[in-house]
Amino acid sequence: MNFMQNPPAQHTSEMLLGSDAIAYGVKLCRPEVIAAYPITPQTHIIETLSSMVDSGEMPSEYIKVESEMSAIAACFGSVAAGSRSFTATSSHGLALMHEMLHWFAASRFPLVMVNANRALGAPWNIWTDQSDSLAQRDTGWLQIYCETAQEALDTILLSYWLTERIMLPVMVMIDGFILSHTMEQLFVPEQDLADRFLPAYQAPYHLDTENPLSFGAAATPDNFYNLRKALAKTMKNVPKEIEEGAERFSRLFHRRYANLEGYRLEGAEVVIVSSGALTGTVRIAVDRLRDAGKKVGLVKLRLFRPFPREELLEMVQGVPDVLAFSRAVSYGAGGTLAQELRASLYHLESRPRIFDVIISLGGKEVFPETVIDVVQGMGGLSPVNSNWF
Amino acid sequence: MEIINQDSLVAPGDLNEAPISMTTTEGNLTGSWKFFSPCLQEKVSPCRTACPIQNNIAEYMYFLNQGEKDRALEILRESNPLPAITGRVCPRFCQQECNRLQLDQGVLIGSVERFLGDYGLKIPYPAPEKKRSERVAVVGSGPAGLAAAYFLARAGIQVTVYEKEAEPGGLLRWGIPEYRLPKDVLRQELDNLINSFNIGLECRQDMTSEKIEALSSDYQAVFCAPGLGASILPREFAGYDRVRQGLDLLYDLQQGRIPEGRRFAVIGGGNVAVDAARSLLRYGKEVEIIYRRTYAEMPAYPDEKRHLSEEGIPVQEQSLVTDITPHKGALRLSVSQAVKSEQGIVPGPVGSEQEVDVLVLAVGQTEHLRIEPKERLFVGGDLQLGASSVVEAMATGRQGATAILQQLDPEQEAPELPAPEPAAVNLTYVPRKKPLLLRETALEERVSGFVETDPGFSEDEAQLAAARCLSCGKCTACGLCWFFCPDVSIALETEADPPGVTIDSEHCKGCGLCAFVCPRGVIRMEED
Ligand SMILES: Cc1cc2nc3c(=O)[nH]c(=O)nc-3n(C[C@H](O)[C@H](O)[C@H](O)COP(=O)(O)OP(=O)(O)OC[C@H]3O[C@@H](n4cnc5c(N)ncnc54)[C@H](O)[C@@H]3O)c2cc1C
Ligand code: SF4
Repeated sequence: MNFMQNPPAQHTSEMLLGSDAIAYGVKLCRPEVIAAYPITPQTHIIETLSSMVDSGEMPSEYIKVESEMSAIAACFGSVAAGSRSFTATSSHGLALMHEMLHWFAASRFPLVMVNANRALGAPWNIWTDQSDSLAQRDTGWLQIYCETAQEALDTILLSYWLTERIMLPVMVMIDGFILSHTMEQLFVPEQDLADRFLPAYQAPYHLDTENPLSFGAAATPDNFYNLRKALAKTMKNVPKEIEEGAERFSRLFHRRYANLEGYRLEGAEVVIVSSGALTGTVRIAVDRLRDAGKKVGLVKLRLFRPFPREELLEMVQGVPDVLAFSRAVSYGAGGTLAQELRASLYHLESRPRIFDVIISLGGKEVFPETVIDVVQGMGGLSPVNSNWF
Repeated sequence: MEIINQDSLVAPGDLNEAPISMTTTEGNLTGSWKFFSPCLQEKVSPCRTACPIQNNIAEYMYFLNQGEKDRALEILRESNPLPAITGRVCPRFCQQECNRLQLDQGVLIGSVERFLGDYGLKIPYPAPEKKRSERVAVVGSGPAGLAAAYFLARAGIQVTVYEKEAEPGGLLRWGIPEYRLPKDVLRQELDNLINSFNIGLECRQDMTSEKIEALSSDYQAVFCAPGLGASILPREFAGYDRVRQGLDLLYDLQQGRIPEGRRFAVIGGGNVAVDAARSLLRYGKEVEIIYRRTYAEMPAYPDEKRHLSEEGIPVQEQSLVTDITPHKGALRLSVSQAVKSEQGIVPGPVGSEQEVDVLVLAVGQTEHLRIEPKERLFVGGDLQLGASSVVEAMATGRQGATAILQQLDPEQEAPELPAPEPAAVNLTYVPRKKPLLLRETALEERVSGFVETDPGFSEDEAQLAAARCLSCGKCTACGLCWFFCPDVSIALETEADPPGVTIDSEHCKGCGLCAFVCPRGVIRMEED
């Protein structure tokens, strides 16, 4: 996005913590139910929301629960009853929700959940790491990774619009601490603007004692197969739906988010693919490498599920080398992002060489120099069966 | 098998994509799976069980909470014809058993009762459904006699009360002082009761055993509750005119006869001692209590003892008056430390002397009339129980009335009082509430006159107090079972009278959640 000095029409400009930015975004979406359990580094989000509910500023029902499992289960109930709902979690909390993540998506229930990316033990580590959310990639949820707090706020609005259209839940990722605990100048839309973008949720199906139906009851194998096929089909359609959402959003809010964003790709010989707040650091490194005459570009991956394969193809067509920067590893296989890129690009006639770089885990600092070192040192590497740890 | 590609997309949000049944599941009678069924069974609240006259507290509190004051009063009057009085002087047996004590603060039942009682002072009782020709005599117009008269009159019996004094009420009038029970409240309560039922009242009738015998020929039955009219006088105190009996003193004080003298000592630790001392204080006397056991052991009601201390009346505990000698128009007392021995409490070696103008004895009452119950003659109140309390005396009045009615009408089944079955409450889901504070009249105001120590509750406060009552054992259609039932098998009947729930046994799977969560313990699982 372009950084604007003055807020666009019907926005206020505020210095906000990333967590608060999300809380404001949630408030603008008027969820009827919030059920969440605190966990660092997500806690600020629900803390702010709970005080908004407590003060009456936000007329939502806030359910205090005893675990993340209960948080997602409570949301399952409220969404089943037809209410727009919200939850947020991180790390072990997300892992605890695992079973319900499958149920949510396959029940075709809409929900927006924020996950503040954080490592899972052992040893204890509270810093940013994408192992938590990437481990949930096969649950049928959409996954969106945000680079800035502004993007996170806006993504909440976009995600509600989307989830209620496709009836699949959306997980919005921010980097723990890096986004959640730092302040940014933000443009906060006015409620009226948000309301124009996001109408009240009209559940196409919900629990109704007047017309009792069974939800998620036992299905025959054939039935089951067909239902999951339908889910897969909807996933395929998501990029188009996002496109429509982005279009509507940009008309009202004057900014736009793409599933993938290219940066200095012209004539690039090396392209780095990264996601989340790390992208900001890579951007600086790319500028410096370009200044030094190296033809390096960047692709920011915003949408991870469904994987925006078509769009990616367009961006890396003809690029000789791609560096996949992962903050998560599938042990015994490699960085998660590299795997995804390889799977997406394998069928190309002339495909780029894909280098697997585990750029950071457990919040290990990444400086522009780190990125420059990686790019400069890759000459001696073979992309086959090797990853950069 | 179909290959998924971009061209074969299903519209998003298509209903067919969700794992939801196509038709209603109502036809699926899941009730056939169960082997336990929930049964609604109202229980008796512990407070009602504790109340000697079994006031239906849970029920009247419920209606008060619904804003139906008149109905609440009607329910209270079912068992209690003197609520403005008991609401003031009853030691509140009920409150000690309140389930809410386990949660935050027990319900201040007595204060609510008093509020309702005061509300009813000017509301006449409805006339009995039928008039009967039988006549019953009652001897004594204390709480026992009045309760008997009420329960008989309500059944249509013509009742005549014979009272020795010039005015009715017994110890309510001559014993309990004005700062605890204003005479005006007493008068209104009794007038309303007596007038509503046209109860015959014959005052200044000092009934002897023979006269009582004679009543049997004019009346179908006689209920006798003359109380305990004689005060115990230990030998060592006999024969001194500066030694007064506490009850006689109270009787005099209530009629404005203030004894001479400045310095008073009261021997005793019960209600008479405390009331005598507190009354004397209000007439500007110097007064102290001498009691043979410890302060903690004094049998007076805890609130009375607290007020006594607050008002600064000293208690010389574990002390015995061993000797008295008249001395220059006063009395010299020898006071010894009391020690416990095998012979009981005896004077110890340490002693002292003190001088008082009047010594008041309050060491107990005993019977002044000996009456043996026989076929048509019933006995109740303190005479039957020994010194008891207002409400216990009333309970005997009710029992007497019930026995008389049974005798008059052997065919008729005795009205059954509910069996005490404590409701197994579940307080997990009951929101905690801020405790209520009881206001009390400021100390200076209290001790300088006979204004009520407890000013009572305003209507708002009474409502707040009532709102704390859960109505244990009664279904109030609170909706918790409805909320928890996973099979949507409970319907709330909030508009019904009484409100309740209905259970759809065709779909209830018998999981028992409703019975578990019910805060009032009215649902029980029974094996099919
Ligand atoms: C000072 C004092 C304070 C008390 N405080 C409390 C209190 O705060 N709370 C509480 O619950 N209880 C209290 N009590 C106890 C309570 O007052 C008695 O237990 C209760 O009044 C007994 O009722 P009753 O009807 O049996 O007798 P009484 O109240 O004694 O009534 C007997 C009636 O019979 C009449 N009578 C007697 N002999 C005859 C006769 N021969 N012919 C005709 N009529 C006759 C009497 O004049 C009297 O009116 C107190 C008692 C005393 C003495
Ligand atoms: S909550 Fe009410 S009904 Fe239950 S025990 Fe207490 S006073 Fe009685």
